[in-house]
Amino acid sequence: MPQVEMEFKRTGTRLPRASWHAVANAVVLVWLGLTAVAVVARDHLPAPQWLLIHVFVLGAVTNAIVTWTEHFSHALLRMPAPPRQWPLARLVLLNVAIVAVLYGTSGGHAWLAVAGAALLLAVVCAHFTVMALRSRNALGGRFRHVLTWYVWAGVALLAGGTLGGWMASGHVPARWHARIEAAHIHVNILGWVGLTVLGTLFTLWPTVLRTQIAESTAKIARLSLRLAVPGLAVAVTGLSADLRWVAAAGLALFTAGAVLSLQPFVTTFRRRRPHNAASWTLAAGTGWLVAALIADLVIVATHPPGEVAEKTEAYVPVALAGFIGQVLLGSLLFLLPVVLGGGPAALKRNAALLERFWIVRLAAVNIAVPLVAAPVPGWPRTLAWAVLLAALAAFVLPALIAVGRSLGVRPPAAGIAVGALLTAAAVVFAASGTSAPSSVTVTGGRTVDVTLAGMRILPGTISVAPGTRLTLRVTNKDAQRHDLRLGTGQATPMLAPGKTATITVTVAESIDGWCTVPGHRAAGMTMRIETKAVASGGGGRSGGHSGHASTPGTDHHDMPGPLNLAAPPSPGWKPYDATLKPAPGGEEHRLELHAVEKELEVAPGVKQTMWTFGGTVPAPTLRGKVGDVFTITFVNDGGMGHGVDFHAGSLAPDVPMRTIQPGERLTYRFKAARAGAWLYHCSTMPMTQHIANGMYGAVVVDPPDLPRADREYILVQGELYLGGPDDAARITKINEGRPDGWMFNGTAAGYDHAQLKARVGERVRVWVVAAGPDTGTAFHIVGAQFDTVYKEGAYLLRPDDDGGAQVLDLAPAQGGFVETVFPEPGHYPFVDHAMRRAETGAHGIFEVSK
Amino acid sequence: MTWWSVVRFLHVTGAALWVGGQLTVSLIVLPLARRTLSDEQRAVTLRAIGKRFGMFTGAVFLPVQIATGIAIAVHKGVTWESLTEPGYGRILASKLLLFTAVMACAGLHGWANQRHPPFARAMAVASLVGSVGIVLLATALPAT
Repeated sequence: MPQVEMEFKRTGTRLPRASWHAVANAVVLVWLGLTAVAVVARDHLPAPQWLLIHVFVLGAVTNAIVTWTEHFSHALLRMPAPPRQWPLARLVLLNVAIVAVLYGTSGGHAWLAVAGAALLLAVVCAHFTVMALRSRNALGGRFRHVLTWYVWAGVALLAGGTLGGWMASGHVPARWHARIEAAHIHVNILGWVGLTVLGTLFTLWPTVLRTQIAESTAKIARLSLRLAVPGLAVAVTGLSADLRWVAAAGLALFTAGAVLSLQPFVTTFRRRRPHNAASWTLAAGTGWLVAALIADLVIVATHPPGEVAEKTEAYVPVALAGFIGQVLLGSLLFLLPVVLGGGPAALKRNAALLERFWIVRLAAVNIAVPLVAAPVPGWPRTLAWAVLLAALAAFVLPALIAVGRSLGVRPPAAGIAVGALLTAAAVVFAASGTSAPSSVTVTGGRTVDVTLAGMRILPGTISVAPGTRLTLRVTNKDAQRHDLRLGTGQATPMLAPGKTATITVTVAESIDGWCTVPGHRAAGMTMRIETKAVASGGGGRSGGHSGHASTPGTDHHDMPGPLNLAAPPSPGWKPYDATLKPAPGGEEHRLELHAVEKELEVAPGVKQTMWTFGGTVPAPTLRGKVGDVFTITFVNDGGMGHGVDFHAGSLAPDVPMRTIQPGERLTYRFKAARAGAWLYHCSTMPMTQHIANGMYGAVVVDPPDLPRADREYILVQGELYLGGPDDAARITKINEGRPDGWMFNGTAAGYDHAQLKARVGERVRVWVVAAGPDTGTAFHIVGAQFDTVYKEGAYLLRPDDDGGAQVLDLAPAQGGFVETVFPEPGHYPFVDHAMRRAETGAHGIFEVSK
Repeated sequence: MTWWSVVRFLHVTGAALWVGGQLTVSLIVLPLARRTLSDEQRAVTLRAIGKRFGMFTGAVFLPVQIATGIAIAVHKGVTWESLTEPGYGRILASKLLLFTAVMACAGLHGWANQRHPPFARAMAVASLVGSVGIVLLATALPAT
């Protein structure tokens, strides 16, 4: 047997086609670089998993296959050189097609994706037609089997690419989608890539090992192809037609063909062991091919075809990195120095450059590959990806240097390119993301149920006020997998049928959303979150996008809409402590009170900036007994003028209630001459604004001989207006007395989530103060009766009386207390019995235990 | 005019000296040296210039830029989280990353100078182009 020589021979002369190879392989290297970028930028891509896979397989691998199948065919069959302009034209058209497919599919431009797929298939078809036609005049009959493998690989791409284009068009019926996807994956990875690799290994493997081709190679090549091709055809038919055992049988046949085709590989391996970077990497890649085939066979045999695509997902990185990646890199390790030429010295230098640290790289990659697929969470997976990235970079960067040298790129030009690339990457990163106004004021929070079904996202449009913290509870009610990804980057994981996930986004401006499954966006799985200025007049929405029939209750408008009081409060939220401690001893009470602006949680999950005394709404509760003196040092740390007015004291307002400017302080001293539950509030005009923004609190002055109660609580009721303090629409709402909700102690329905405790038989005293600014309260405890009512300085009811009371009614700024004894364990809601106010937040729960 | 003006002045001046120094060496000193000096003289002179510039970078430029940069960031209320936010945060983050990359290129230039002169040359140019990119990003930072 003659040694394979051809153009592989490590000759000393620069090969005539070196610069072509430098250009063609530079394209492959650029796609490999983009693959690394896709791994890093994964979370920011419109279709992360899909783009990562296709940048690699369609970009890097398909380019490499087209370039190298031509090279091998010409070298082995001694075919005449291809027509002059053809390779370059093919390269350009192929990459235009690839970019169109990638951009069209991930961006939801179905026509572009389909046109790209069609162009891609046409280019590949033309490529193999040119090769087949020219091979008729070729001399090298001994290696004709290689071309046959390549042509069948091309046929596989025709089938797989057609399926892919069909999916990208969005016209695959929903119930077929998962099976078509499985067929697409199999025919492309096993057919287009697998057949090319196996066909190439017949000659490349002995060449890399620098040994003779095994004798039986041609015969085995012909025989194994007769198993592999029909096997793949049957497998793909079975997957598409939902015939599990047909698919499994076909795949078994393909695997048999593949294993048979590796027989010369094994024979050669035993005769001459791998000894360099290229041969070991190729051997490892081939090993992963066999492992992937076996794993795939198990999956196909044990799952209905409709579940195969989902189940194989975890193994895709193994196939891509372990098998395809290593075979590609192993081949290039050997081939690049050879085809780049430049004389023996250059060849040696390039080979040394590419092979640097190859043992470490090889070991690291083959440890990392299974970790990427393993169901381990957290850092081992991240580390594995980092290792793969580093290994990829360790090949791509030196290879680019080698290619650059071959093309005669001067160091300064290379330096300019590197610097410009770094700068461009930094600028792209700097400009990324919506340049939203930096200060988005959260004006409300809502949860909207979103349904994925029948190639639709419902509701198709959600209108909210700018600044809304929107929670989407996304449920996949379809028979196939979907996800929802927003233009701002938030996304649900891929949801199996019936699964639910939530995403939360603060809406600064309109946001688009879509399903990232290829073709689904094109088929209409899109939605839009629209921002709407809060109009002061009510009324419905006019115009607006509505791509589909919307059912009542699924389309949302008129923001800020009903508060979602059942939503969970933000993590870390602490309720205002409603427990009222006994008055401290002594007859003089001193307090420093600071006016500060602070972001507070005014309803579950809704934060907004409030004006406060002391950082809380309501302000700290003061307590003393009749005759005590309170000395308050009031400090204005806010951004505007504030004052304070204590109803618990009687004095001339002129000086102590004056407005002081930021940075100023005043001393407010009053004697609590009379008992009661007193309001204090900001005294600066317009008081509607200052009180509505949260500047109020309570002073409790105990009546003489107040009996001891087992528990005492204080509830200050106030109105809730959503929006920022300067929001014009909000100011209008305050002036017109149209609150968005009501709050006990500063959070609407806060005590629904942090329930107040009591025990059966205990005497519970609840102090209530109505802060307004516009509305009072009708305080009531559901299931309880009051035996004591104290309102505005006088007892209306005492335990010894025969009657009972149901409500403590307070006008704005009035106060008092009620007492009750809970009869049995349970949950007793306390409400403002003006039910509109109860249902929009003036609501809490006593949790009564034994 | 506050003390912060002085800090900003130091930061801007440091950057101007470093980028300007590289530009002067690359665009003026190198071509002139190539034309007027013998190979041996040129090697000695350029190595001395490179060494001096490297020392200036390590002893003056880096400490001043990092110290003043951190001070300005703290003064402006920049936090780690805010670096990921679109707009100011992200521009600043990319400027810092590019600065790190440029420093890596400059370091590689120094390391490779004796060993792989063409590589060192490429790194020097990359560092220069990247530095100009940093200035570009600095001008893109919204002034507040």
